[in-house]
Amino acid sequence: MIQQRLPTGTPIPLPDATLCVDGLSISYGAAKVVRDVTLRIAPGEAYGLIGESGSGKSTIAFSVMGYLNGGTASAGRITIAGHDILTLPDRKLRRLRGPVVSMVFQDPMNALNPSIRVGEQIAEGIRYHTGAGKAEAEARAIELIDQVKLPEPEDIVRRYPHQLSGGQQQRIVIAMALALEPALLILDEPTTGLDVTTEATILDLITEIKQRSNVALLFISHNLGVVARMCDRVGVLYAGDLIEEGPTAEVLQRPSHPYTRGLISAVPSIAGELEMVGIPGSLPDLTEVPKGCIFRARCSIAIAACGEAPVPMETVRPGHASRCLRWRDCLAELNPPQAAAVRAPLDGEKRLEIDSVIRSFPGARRLPFLKPRPAVQALRGVSLDIRAGETLAVVGESGSGKSTLGRLVAGLDRPAGGTIRFEGRDVTALSRERTVDDQRAVQFIFQNPHSALNPHHTVEEIVGRPLRLYLGLQGTELRRRIVEILRAVRLGERYMTRAPHELSGGEKQRVCIARAFAAEPRLVVCDEPTSALDISVQAAILQELQTLQRESAHRTAYMFITHDLGVVRQIADRVAVMYLGEIVELGATRDIFSRPQHPYTEALLAAVPELRPTRASRMRLQGVVPRPTNPPSGCSFHTRCPRLKGDICSQKAPPTRSKASGHAMRCHHDINTLKALQSAELENRTEPARP
Amino acid sequence: MQNASASASSQIPPLRRYRLRPVDLVLGPVILVVFLMLLVPGWIAPGSPTEFDPMASLIPPGGDYLLGTDEFGRDVYTRIVHGARPTLIVAFAGAVVGVILGTLTGMLAGYAGGRVDETLMRFMDALMSFPTLILATLIVVMLGSNPVNVVAALAVVFWPRSARIVRAVAMDVARRAFIEAAWVRGESHLFILFRELLPSVMNVAVIDLSLRITYATMLSASLSYLGVGVHPPTPAWGLMVKEGQQFIQFASWLVVVPCTTIAIVAVTCVLLGERLRELLAPAHRGEQ
Repeated sequence: MIQQRLPTGTPIPLPDATLCVDGLSISYGAAKVVRDVTLRIAPGEAYGLIGESGSGKSTIAFSVMGYLNGGTASAGRITIAGHDILTLPDRKLRRLRGPVVSMVFQDPMNALNPSIRVGEQIAEGIRYHTGAGKAEAEARAIELIDQVKLPEPEDIVRRYPHQLSGGQQQRIVIAMALALEPALLILDEPTTGLDVTTEATILDLITEIKQRSNVALLFISHNLGVVARMCDRVGVLYAGDLIEEGPTAEVLQRPSHPYTRGLISAVPSIAGELEMVGIPGSLPDLTEVPKGCIFRARCSIAIAACGEAPVPMETVRPGHASRCLRWRDCLAELNPPQAAAVRAPLDGEKRLEIDSVIRSFPGARRLPFLKPRPAVQALRGVSLDIRAGETLAVVGESGSGKSTLGRLVAGLDRPAGGTIRFEGRDVTALSRERTVDDQRAVQFIFQNPHSALNPHHTVEEIVGRPLRLYLGLQGTELRRRIVEILRAVRLGERYMTRAPHELSGGEKQRVCIARAFAAEPRLVVCDEPTSALDISVQAAILQELQTLQRESAHRTAYMFITHDLGVVRQIADRVAVMYLGEIVELGATRDIFSRPQHPYTEALLAAVPELRPTRASRMRLQGVVPRPTNPPSGCSFHTRCPRLKGDICSQKAPPTRSKASGHAMRCHHDINTLKALQSAELENRTEPARP
Repeated sequence: MQNASASASSQIPPLRRYRLRPVDLVLGPVILVVFLMLLVPGWIAPGSPTEFDPMASLIPPGGDYLLGTDEFGRDVYTRIVHGARPTLIVAFAGAVVGVILGTLTGMLAGYAGGRVDETLMRFMDALMSFPTLILATLIVVMLGSNPVNVVAALAVVFWPRSARIVRAVAMDVARRAFIEAAWVRGESHLFILFRELLPSVMNVAVIDLSLRITYATMLSASLSYLGVGVHPPTPAWGLMVKEGQQFIQFASWLVVVPCTTIAIVAVTCVLLGERLRELLAPAHRGEQ
């Protein structure tokens, strides 16, 4: 999968590199957020910068664009194709942005002006820099839109950004960035906000652009799988220090720095052989940078010498360097990751039964005499059940209705039809209308811990509230219990008096989990509980959730809503795959992750950028998710399905096909045909799996 | 990275975030003087604000009388100092009552949404459609001219304006997950309103209050000027303007001095509000 462009160990001669960053140090006030970073990117090379949030990767990207945003570059030089960026005045920098260096941002919605047609937005830069006429610039815009593989470019140029999907918008942003054929293209988390199937097609596009032109890519990402797929070389940033650098395959497979090693073991994999492990601790205070190794406080193999003097970059092998004194011991001494425990199948009593639940959101009325907009059909007859002690993952892309389902179960919303039964009792109602015991027994963990905690309450008040409300605890008994619960989520007593803003993202989510478990729930709905967190924190939080489940006296069941299939593989017993408000496949985790699957599940799995590339399928979904206001007839997936059977797919709703293991999918193909189709494709492939 | 540092600065408690600005050097003494005028007017102006002295009428500022005297020989300085109470206490009380009503209404409308929101806010719109001065005059004339009714009039004028501002904030906060968390936990509406929502709208309400006091000062002065509200010989500042205007051609200080005082207090309140806003509600970036 990873193919080396440069022979390992050939240092790029200085004048040939497109981007040279030499000894760059940037500070914001007293915080030295980037320190002495040196890197080179050759023409046609893709260089990945990885690290957790706060590592300084975006700061470096922006400074390469000549934008320091109130920071100061206290030392160093940045040269792009011979232009010394940090010394140029603003006026000259503006001339470079576009023809020499350009940038693709994380959120295309913010990068595009909502009130200007996208064609004009692309043409604007062309006209400013080349002095081209209006017609000429527009012709070029159409050409660019065609190059980023958008259908009917003549039509697309006249659209406004809101008339395009997220993936299409990102393609427009890429077209804008490529308009003037820059020497260096910076991609700052270009696919982070996109669905996994869209992400895969965008990454394919970037790969193709890279192969076609000689542009140098600086690829910023926190997703190691994306970097593994896209980059030739990779640099690992930690707290502003470049701590390891080398060819992607080598760094990711033979990491020579404990931090890189930690990052890699924290990644949940859909291959799922290995248990993921978090990195304990958090980023150091960058106003007082320690003298020695910056990672020392979190490092498990640190020795006294690590704290004594700045650690130099040491060459591991030509082209691969690590800022660690003990890099030789790195692979040997750190505990090797353990194989993930295989969970026994559960056959407890049914805790939650959802039966053909429907929910649609009526469209807004435009004017009194006009017809209202069509209703969004968020859930179209969903049935599933969860047993005691079980974790059921609900996966799907945005708009699949997975969050709506979770909200219905928690009683944040009421279904329009169908029933939800909890322990046999009908709880098809808002949580307020349920009995106190049911309110207590079903808890909800929100996606974004930053907004799920009242900023004006202390941790003690937040965690203590369910104890007061449901159990009537008070005084010392209340306090004792709060401390106990905080310990269970690995927050000590000292956190009691803290306010949410004094906590890190991971700590906030722990408080949310503590609040949910204070109620001694029997079912917890987790709505993407780790998607707002760093990867190293995610691993720890997921382990926390698993431990709490194992130790819970009530055999707590989880309904785990997520878009991350790696996470699913790690924690779920069973998986429900949703598409456009329907469950297309439901079965035990190991069944879902082994062939054959529903074509949609197959595409989802194929789209996941994996760190250790093993998956064979290269299936890509074309087109966009149909509007949930008007779902396609027949099988709702037929508009994008790469394994169409024929007209029947668009005419008749597919039957449910089940295997003995309780694995069920809805497809017109029978299971053996799907199996044959999937195997045939694998055998036919001759070239290695580079998309 | 940039976001991280911005949100870090907004997370420092207000008092520790305080940095002295040049404007504070002007604001501080003015606020101190206003407080002295309110609390102990006798200390800084020992004379009587209402005692006539026919021998000393219409003396220009300077000399024995710092700010001159009026047609009855009353010392303008003393009247200004003693006038702070009837002017500002009424204004302050009116603004406080109005902002409290507005906060409650706005919070309820923003939290409940739907029909409750529609009904409350349309009622507020109806109140707002009256020009402020006319509405206030109407209320005082209808209820009778005394300080309590002036406070009521000011409150009614400010109620809808505060409600709108608080509602906007409450709507934003009510959508956040911690409100949903309380809701799904089965908390009572009162608990959610007062324990979960109120702390988040307090900043805005306090800042709004400081601005409302400004308007209230001017509005109560206008009411006095129109002859509704407080009666002579109370040395309310608005009343002083009204009484002085007939002598404006040859004793302009009778109008200029109280007008300037009102202006200074009003501007001070506005600046104070600005400073409070900087301290209490910095943009909460990265915390959505």
